[in-house]
Amino acid sequence: MTSYLIATLVLVVIATLSGLALNLQWGLGGLVNFGLFGFYMLGAYACSLLQMQGLPPLAAMLLALLLTAAASALVSLISVRLSEDYLAIVTLGFAESLRLFISYEEWLTRGTLGIPNIVRPFAELVPSAWRDLFFLGFCLVWLALVFVVLQRLARSPFGRLLRATREDAGVAEALGKNVLWVRARSFALGGAILGIAGSLHAFYYTYIDPTQFSTILTAYAFMAVILGGRGSHAGVLVAGFTVILLLEGSRMLAGVVPWLDGTQLAAIRLSLVGLLLLAMLIFKPNGLLPEYRLGPRSQGK
Amino acid sequence: MSAELRLDSVVAGYGARAVLHGVSLDVAPRSSLVVVGPNGSGKSTLMRVVTGLIRPQSGRVIWDGRDITALDAPGRARLGLGYVPQEANVFRNLSVLDNLKLGHEFIASGGARALRERLDAVLALFPEIVPKLNVAAGLLSGGQRQMVAMGAALMPSPRLLALDEPSAGLSPLNASRLFDVVQRVAHTGVTLFMIEQNTRLGLAAADQGLVLVAGQVRARAPSQELLANGQLQSLYLGAH
Amino acid sequence: MLAQLIFNGLVSGLLIALPALSLALIFSVLRFANYAIGAMVTTGAHLVYAFNGPLGWPLPLAVAAGMALSVALSLLLDRLVFAPLRGRSGVTLLVASIGLGLVLENLVRLVAGNAPRGFGVEIARPARLLGLRVNQEQLITLVCVLVALALVWLVFRFTRLGRAMQAVADNPDLADVRGISRKKVTAAVWALAAAMATLSGVLIGLDSNVDPQMGWNYLLPVFTAAILGGIGSPMAAVAGALLLGVTEELATLLLPPHYRTVVAFGVMALLLLLRPQGLFGAKWVRK
Repeated sequence: MTSYLIATLVLVVIATLSGLALNLQWGLGGLVNFGLFGFYMLGAYACSLLQMQGLPPLAAMLLALLLTAAASALVSLISVRLSEDYLAIVTLGFAESLRLFISYEEWLTRGTLGIPNIVRPFAELVPSAWRDLFFLGFCLVWLALVFVVLQRLARSPFGRLLRATREDAGVAEALGKNVLWVRARSFALGGAILGIAGSLHAFYYTYIDPTQFSTILTAYAFMAVILGGRGSHAGVLVAGFTVILLLEGSRMLAGVVPWLDGTQLAAIRLSLVGLLLLAMLIFKPNGLLPEYRLGPRSQGK
Repeated sequence: MSAELRLDSVVAGYGARAVLHGVSLDVAPRSSLVVVGPNGSGKSTLMRVVTGLIRPQSGRVIWDGRDITALDAPGRARLGLGYVPQEANVFRNLSVLDNLKLGHEFIASGGARALRERLDAVLALFPEIVPKLNVAAGLLSGGQRQMVAMGAALMPSPRLLALDEPSAGLSPLNASRLFDVVQRVAHTGVTLFMIEQNTRLGLAAADQGLVLVAGQVRARAPSQELLANGQLQSLYLGAH
Repeated sequence: MLAQLIFNGLVSGLLIALPALSLALIFSVLRFANYAIGAMVTTGAHLVYAFNGPLGWPLPLAVAAGMALSVALSLLLDRLVFAPLRGRSGVTLLVASIGLGLVLENLVRLVAGNAPRGFGVEIARPARLLGLRVNQEQLITLVCVLVALALVWLVFRFTRLGRAMQAVADNPDLADVRGISRKKVTAAVWALAAAMATLSGVLIGLDSNVDPQMGWNYLLPVFTAAILGGIGSPMAAVAGALLLGVTEELATLLLPPHYRTVVAFGVMALLLLLRPQGLFGAKWVRK
């Protein structure tokens, strides 16, 4: 029972991190990362490959983080000077292209065979009975770190600027702020968080292959952001739990209802995400929890 | 043929802010009214309420005795309200001919023959644009675009013509030519409703004048009286 | 042979021409990027299949029925999803279309399952025309798409509706004031888009398979084609589609065929970096 709980909590952390990344990019910045799974996958593969080459796992993870951030910055720069209509398809194109590349370039990525025997950070220091719990702790440390950084960011001048460019890029530009740079930076930071999530995914499963990564991951991140209230980091934390709960719940449902096979289950989940997305946009465009805003009660600037 | 327009205590604005604070006015059939006033007095908002592009927060818009407050812009166009906007008043990527056709085909009935007749009548008013019929309207000069805009508004034989700052951006010569056309149109019995930034020109072009300041009606009288009225300046609070 | 490659490329370009045109039309008149276009292709194809497969109707009749249903569906969805969001930002509409696409595609997957299917047509041997090998599907594609394009072009250029669409795309407020009903124009745009998406879905199904992934696989090429043409210019999107088709085909000389998507992505990235207004867009007179 405990191991099931620990496993679920790890998944919650990873899902929450994805949600936080998208929350930064879309919720705060208005940048629709439709190819989210691609950056997550990049983080997972970079971490695993580097670690396979002999790097200590933590170092591999840090490098993966940086690589994913850089890739995010570059991809966003393709379309970030233009209107927001293009970023979604650009990120999707990147994700699909990357998945094809990973699947076919076996000399580099082992293709569909996947990468086995991924080693977790500090694995040799921990007695085997405590391994999973320790890993959960490791994940929680990262979650806390990311959360603190994002909260500080949201309240900082950069955070305000980000919200301003989301709301009206023209006004922000008129104020002399470099919209392009702001967007690229926030997209890159979100990418870094996705790199973390992807690396944790690789460490958790200790085996990755291309079939683990698809638009389903993107959809879950969207769900976390919608449920959590766009722009509200605390909300996404809560939503992370809800998302995994729904997933586990629906898996149990599959056990109970025999005529639902795996494909159909996935289809139901995805349709539900779509419906939720539509319902949120139509009925609650500001999400379920209020966003942090400078209101009459707040202190400081 | 001609129509009567009335506004009853209209309060209107954007979002929570009201720009017009209880404006009432009336334009009798076959007459002409110009609304003048300083920048920011609410003239544009007033025009948008009249044409149906925004709905008032309270008050009524009445056309020939019928309450059209809830009627949208296409509906009002079909009733016979012709509108010449100040900016963005032509379809820039469509030819002048298409612009004129579009002025007619969704409002007036009568098929190709009626269209042809109206086209001839309108081109007679604006001979300058005849050589440009197949040119994209966006490529024309400001004055020519104004003519296309007015021509398109006149195509369906409107019963009331609403003009938004017709002299804006025009040279004095072109402005006076435009007002000549406006006069000719008025003489055919079309009711005229104008807002004008240039007080003198506007009052010279219409029988009746209304002074709008800060969203409220400050004066309403025949234009001659307003022109002769030395207190016009003070009504504007120093602005002109 | 080069000529064969170019011909194949043109035909595969024609497959994406109709959805690309729909995308550009929706973008210019309704002012948002419709990410559900892939789902519309998938849904249309499956609706036709429902008549042709289980019900056994001959394909042309099935296509007519499928198109009619598809049009009705798109009008309903516009009323349910996009009408409440009228006036909201382009990003909101874009995200809504993503949600709609997810729902449509997965409902199809739920009902139809993942197994690929085909339409009931007799197998015919490829013909030889002017030294090129032309198979039956390519011929059907050529004829159907060219006829469809001609019809659409006629509507744009010579009918009142076409002028109304251009007017709303050009200046919606002015269109209002000239008596044009935005509701009717919106409905016409969705109907056209759904019909074209359905037709191309059938052609894609004839070319390969009918499965729930089909439209999704075409998202990237369709967007690239529309961007090539200049995303606000419906007819130019066709030129973009043909160019992309030929490019993808020629790329197989250098890259393995499974990297088609990467080619489309590469073309898109280059375009957006160097010439985002597209290659062929008719001169759009901006303010």
